[in-house]
Amino acid sequence: MSDRTSALALPGGRSHPLSAIRGLVPRLWPLPVGLRRAITPLAILVLWQAGSSLGYIPSRTVAAPIAILAAARDLLVSGALLHHLTVSLLRVIAGLSIAIVVGTTLALAAGLSRLGEDLIDSTLQMVRTLPFLALVPLFILWFGIGETPKIALVALGAMFPIYLNLFAGIRGADPKLLEAASTLGLSRAALIRHVVLPAALPNALTGLRYAAGIAWLSLVVGEQINADSGIGYLMMDARDFLRTDIIMVGLGVYALLGLLSDQAVRALERRTLAWRPAARVGR
Amino acid sequence: MSAAAADMPPSRDTSVRGLVRRFGPTAVLDGLDLDVPAGAFIALLGRSGSGKTTLLRTLAGLDVAEQGSVELPARRAVVFQEPRLLPWKRVWQNVALGLPAADARAHAEQALREVELAHRMDAWPLTLSGGEAQRAGLARALVRDPDLLLLDEPFAALDALTRLRMQALVAGLWARHGMSALLVTHDVDEALLLADHAVELQHGRIGLRLRIDLPRPRRHADARFAALRSELLTALGIAAEEAA
Repeated sequence: MSDRTSALALPGGRSHPLSAIRGLVPRLWPLPVGLRRAITPLAILVLWQAGSSLGYIPSRTVAAPIAILAAARDLLVSGALLHHLTVSLLRVIAGLSIAIVVGTTLALAAGLSRLGEDLIDSTLQMVRTLPFLALVPLFILWFGIGETPKIALVALGAMFPIYLNLFAGIRGADPKLLEAASTLGLSRAALIRHVVLPAALPNALTGLRYAAGIAWLSLVVGEQINADSGIGYLMMDARDFLRTDIIMVGLGVYALLGLLSDQAVRALERRTLAWRPAARVGR
Repeated sequence: MSAAAADMPPSRDTSVRGLVRRFGPTAVLDGLDLDVPAGAFIALLGRSGSGKTTLLRTLAGLDVAEQGSVELPARRAVVFQEPRLLPWKRVWQNVALGLPAADARAHAEQALREVELAHRMDAWPLTLSGGEAQRAGLARALVRDPDLLLLDEPFAALDALTRLRMQALVAGLWARHGMSALLVTHDVDEALLLADHAVELQHGRIGLRLRIDLPRPRRHADARFAALRSELLTALGIAAEEAA
């Protein structure tokens, strides 16, 4: 009974609402959950490889899994992957850093003063409704085709979630806590430091997580226009030679980078929000 | 009055004269007078909306009255109905908040020991039970060594047993520190257990003032407790009928 229960339990330890129904189904798969979940992706990979090897899937549509692995190895060995990866990473780091500085500054100004809110918030809310990727043509006119338009695109896209979430977090600080802290004789600066900013931190980190996602999205777009390096360039270049294997490697790298940056922010949340009950971290 | 204070030590008495506070057209406090002599424990009773909390917030400096004068001791501290601890600061940091940095931890520990919570001083507030959190709130008030302790229904959200222990704790702390205390409560028994005077707010003024002259520590089982209880209830009941 106990191993059956554990087989039905989710990793989080909560029982799944369907587990009662599943318990009625004969247990055909005496495999651990992790393995059972791997069955479908593995089956797709096997079918994909078989289809490619047997010639049903032409390599100009999509390369075979083994060919993709080989391409990844070649790119690693030649150093090309590392070079383009570094370039892309630096663009995201630069853009995201600008977004953090500008977004945080604006959110603090708007969140902590009425005048700041009047001057900043409504304007930013208007600009936010623009699909910022549509600014690419303008950015090329303004900034040319070098690094600047790519970094500017990342910075612009990533700034909004940082601003919006931090602003909402500052304004959402519990007035009861503010009141209690003010009876302790804290100055306004101390209230901001000890109450308002820590209260806004969970929101700010959620904003950072969204910002990291948008930063990679912006980079994908930015690197497909007039780039001569970066993962996006690698993929565009591969397109000209019908190298779907390299395109797939690029996709995989983008996915991995997105995942890693998300994990990095989650790790930051676990560290800085240690005071929250475990279940609420990362929600 | 305040002019005479120049060459005297600052008064530890609390005195409220002619306090008026309106929310819209209704005057919640309507020319209220109240004295809390140094060291007195006053329980403030009254129906919901009678202005108890408004009065307490005025004394706490959280609300500004439109008319009237208030004289207060300089050192005041508030305990709210909810503990209102900052969840991102450890218990001792909450207690020490606003204190000079030197020895803050030692002072916090001392106050936490007084409320029997020193063993949780490094805990996160969200891991405390309701009673523990409220004791931490009490320690945060105590550590400031207040001359006037303002208690806004601090036991209302606690279970019955925890409430009894907290009431005994507060009675002991008040007796030891000799500060004045103003307790807003709905609970007649609580008023009788803790206070020297039960005061009822009515139409924004003091409607009834009953001296509670029972020996301490007080017990529910005491015959005089029961007698005073029915006296107070009757007084409140009569007052309520007059109000109708």
